[in-house]
Amino acid sequence: MNYLNTETLIGENFGMSIKICCVYFEGKYTPDYVEKLYNGLKRHCTLPFEFICYSDNPNVKADVVIPLPKYSDIKYHWHKLTFFSPLFAYQKPGDEIIIMDIDQVIVNNVDDMIGFPVVDNEIVSYKQWWGQKPHLIIQGGFIKFKSGTGTKIWDNFIKNPEYWQLYYYNEMIVHYKYFGEQNFIKDRARHHNINITLMEPEWVGIYGPNKKQNLKNNRIYMKEFKEDYMIMDKPNPKIKIVHFTNPLTTIHQCKNDWIKDHWK
Amino acid sequence: MRIICVNTGDKFGHWYVKNLKHMIDTYSGLKYDEFVVITSENYKGVFNKLQMFDLYRDGANLYFDLDICIYGKVPNLIRKDLTVLYAWWRDRYHTTLNSSVISWTGDQSHIYETFKKDPNKWQEKYNKGIDQMLEENFKVATYDKVCYSINENEYKPKDNNYSIMLFNQRQFYMEPGWTGWWTNYFLPKS
Repeated sequence: MNYLNTETLIGENFGMSIKICCVYFEGKYTPDYVEKLYNGLKRHCTLPFEFICYSDNPNVKADVVIPLPKYSDIKYHWHKLTFFSPLFAYQKPGDEIIIMDIDQVIVNNVDDMIGFPVVDNEIVSYKQWWGQKPHLIIQGGFIKFKSGTGTKIWDNFIKNPEYWQLYYYNEMIVHYKYFGEQNFIKDRARHHNINITLMEPEWVGIYGPNKKQNLKNNRIYMKEFKEDYMIMDKPNPKIKIVHFTNPLTTIHQCKNDWIKDHWK
Repeated sequence: MRIICVNTGDKFGHWYVKNLKHMIDTYSGLKYDEFVVITSENYKGVFNKLQMFDLYRDGANLYFDLDICIYGKVPNLIRKDLTVLYAWWRDRYHTTLNSSVISWTGDQSHIYETFKKDPNKWQEKYNKGIDQMLEENFKVATYDKVCYSINENEYKPKDNNYSIMLFNQRQFYMEPGWTGWWTNYFLPKS
């Protein structure tokens, strides 16, 4: 199934571009996470895109590197919210903005994800099938929208970033301080009547260093999608992207061969 | 006439000073004798601004914050009495004043002298900044509406009724990666 047709490229959106955006800050990850995500996208996406990284390290590899401000009220991954401002990252009307987490490995062609159709007033994400219910409606690993759709979300956030960044922790909705940006996006989207569309869940695999957890996730995936496996020696061919979602997990901890093949 | 700005700490890089001078020289129409930058950091944050009342005790003085956009010929901003902005664009909050633009002629060093007697007391009492301190303790005049604020205006075209826009708490709009009509008036970032 290929969602992006010629009309999309030469029709009313002629001149629009796809901007794939991520945030990097020193700490949990290393700059090569950005480079490997970028390389994976180049290997597995035939659609033209611009890769933008908002980073406190100028040496990350991307088409455009925007320096993270030294002084900001915005903390950690909440900087992702900045891409919702149409004034940021050189957005133009009609541009399609995709925000991605850098703790992901691209394992198959992602044209259907990168080119997933999106209209004004709509946010596209991938559907969660793993972990405890209720599942998150919006996954921070992949958020797509047309430039301008997220203006009100950004405006709400920047009026009081300190409040929102701790809101979901203070309300005991998340268990880690400064988590909850996905909840914020979902809540604000609903508040402003922005439609949320979820892509096929089986496109996403979940992985980590915990073998028991990996087995459990394999079982859920097999049952949910009637497949023989999620990730064994290699990822299921249906999987396009593997997300290392556990807050305590990093990709470089995992030494499996399939990761070496795809994360480079 | 002397133009003054303050660049202490590392919140604002040197680009901000060069950018202010660029906008003044290119768009404001202001003629000045000297452009001075105060960099001595002896107090907390904005309280370093008060040093200008000690350093410059003669002639006409015009101070600008670094987080502003000057995009046209400015009205006459030189004042004899100490004059600051009236923050007409927002609710009152803790003060009605905004010291992004200040002017005075002659000697206003009594402000610094008062502060210098017990800086800790003043910095603690007025931890939200010097505007409230000026309002509650000194005789201060205010300008008419000589500029406006980016707050609630960031998505609108520039307002040609003014020639100065303040970024106030939205300094990030001046940072790399952000674009708006104001970007065209800035010194390009190398």
